[in-house]
Amino acid sequence: MSPLSLEVEVDGVLRRLTLERGGEGWLAYMDGKSIAVDVCEPTPGVLSLLIGDSQAEDASSRSYRCVRVAFADEETITVGRHQHRVVVNDPRSLRGQRKRPGAGNGTLQIKASMPGRVARVLVAPGEAVAAHQGIVVVEAMKMQNELKAARDGRIVEVRVAAGDKVASGQVLAVLE
Amino acid sequence: MASLRKILIANRGEIALRLVRACRELGISPVAVYSDADRSALHVQHADEAYRLGPAPSVDSYLRGDRILEIARRCGADAVHPGYGFLSENADFAEACATAGITFIGPPAAAMRELGSKTRARAAADRARMPRTPGSVRGLASADEGLKIAKEIGYPVMLKAAAGGGGKGMRAIHRPEELASAFLSASDEALRAFGSGEVYLEKLIERPRHVEIQLLADQHGNVVYLGERECSVQRRHQKVIEEAPSAVVGPELRRRMGEAACRLAREAGYVNAGTVEFLVDEAQNFYFLEVNTRLQVEHAVTELVTGLDLVHLQIAVAEGKPLPFTQDEITLRGHAMEVRVYAEDPENGFLPSPGRIARLLRPGGPGIREDEGVYEGWEVPTEYDPMLSKLIAHAPDRAAAIARLGCAIDEYVIGGIRTNLKLLRRILDDADFQAARIDTGYLDRLLAKSAPESVDREQGSIAAAAIAAVLFTAPPAAPAMSKSQTPWQRDALQQGLCR
Repeated sequence: MSPLSLEVEVDGVLRRLTLERGGEGWLAYMDGKSIAVDVCEPTPGVLSLLIGDSQAEDASSRSYRCVRVAFADEETITVGRHQHRVVVNDPRSLRGQRKRPGAGNGTLQIKASMPGRVARVLVAPGEAVAAHQGIVVVEAMKMQNELKAARDGRIVEVRVAAGDKVASGQVLAVLE
Repeated sequence: MASLRKILIANRGEIALRLVRACRELGISPVAVYSDADRSALHVQHADEAYRLGPAPSVDSYLRGDRILEIARRCGADAVHPGYGFLSENADFAEACATAGITFIGPPAAAMRELGSKTRARAAADRARMPRTPGSVRGLASADEGLKIAKEIGYPVMLKAAAGGGGKGMRAIHRPEELASAFLSASDEALRAFGSGEVYLEKLIERPRHVEIQLLADQHGNVVYLGERECSVQRRHQKVIEEAPSAVVGPELRRRMGEAACRLAREAGYVNAGTVEFLVDEAQNFYFLEVNTRLQVEHAVTELVTGLDLVHLQIAVAEGKPLPFTQDEITLRGHAMEVRVYAEDPENGFLPSPGRIARLLRPGGPGIREDEGVYEGWEVPTEYDPMLSKLIAHAPDRAAAIARLGCAIDEYVIGGIRTNLKLLRRILDDADFQAARIDTGYLDRLLAKSAPESVDREQGSIAAAAIAAVLFTAPPAAPAMSKSQTPWQRDALQQGLCR
């Protein structure tokens, strides 16, 4: 079976995830790391994941209970005590089917998913952008996260500049 | 007096289910009533009989005392338990029950009237030699009278509705100039909310803790107190977290508060379970606040530290039985803490969040009690209080109770609607709360600070969420889960029996 490659937005940060069968379970590649995954679904909507670093010598196996919860206009995965907003962009099987936050008419706010510092602003007000185009790069916990447009549109407002400190949930730019 | 055989439960939500269970444990048949919004509610499912009251709004359903009595008569119930809220502190309803020959499980109407009015209760407190806040014991005739009293007792002062509750008809006043207009608006607000514009004035206690004494009185003149509860974590005068014992109440203060509360109960001819609320200042002086003439939402923490069942005792008292223990036989064990789980969105101005509970995973383990009123698939109605359930932990000490309750909150998953679970976890994690540095202004101060980003929002959790999201929403063509087949299915597949 050929690997499945998808874009997943977790808490507003777009990540590329590749999944393929490996041994008894799955092998995932994300953020340049290879992850061994064992999965079972004890009850519909609940996944038990055992995740290990397949490249490590002493393979640890961390256990996560992932609960799928849909709110009005967004999908949330609860992992232990954390809740993550997720959007799966799958051009193959989900084309146009999934309702995504901010899709359609109206404005869409691009928000910081965690506190950090603005590393770069990639767009200017008035600029037309395409879906997945980078808007702002926020540096947090020594990692740079590029926040991308969830759909095509035009930038109506950029509320931050390079060097600004931002809080979690703070609106960085507004898309129309 | 004869034993009760059938009790009509004039309430809904978690308390209705808790009462249904208590009845069943005692071999009493529980009868539920419901509004159109609650036809499929849990308390209806668990009762022996259930009767429709009317349309969803409370005034057309749970507040219809006449309908409730008619149903009680028709189904042969010999008692009504009002729970909390709704008709529980309605003296006219208690009287109507008595007139109809149906036992009202609560205090007599006269005691309810005596203690339900805050001004009359303050006068009764004086007779019971109970400390109260300085101020008037009668309603103010005019703003001028208020100015005179305020000058005597000193600012800041508080205007309060005599018939009040829930913060309505209340105004804090720091300067004389503010009094006249506050008097008018508080009086007007009280008139609209409670049908009485009577307001009185008392000294404002700064940074008070809310500590209340649980009382129990039988029909034979025996009155005991079951320790205290501290409910200082409040938002807009609504309690959010309650615990027993209070971190600031030692044996001596407990005895003084408890005995004062018992004197007040005797003075008012009180019978059944009740609560005397106090404010405790920084010097540990206590001041009478008000009496709640009913079972409280937070009664469970008292049950856990005393080992008693307050609803069983309420029923026994209503049956005319004497209290089965004396004050000396009541001992407190460990620490209990309760959080109220609300369908509301703390990140969005605490807007109520009604809707369908798409997912419900409950916590468990030793020392965890959940008084629940909802289930997975239930549609939380818009018409009522947004409390979903109460989560209560009991442990040997306060720190252990906080840890236990925190773990239970982490296990608790409520999907489809917004809840305050995350805020509750934040409070339990807060250093001031853990050190019991709390007063009734504590939660507002916490909310004014921005929430700390959880430190361990680690990469593993994000990776797990990403992988789970893909497996949930875009399962690859091959069988998605390694364990989704039974051994029989795998064998059958190999043998080509099915695909």
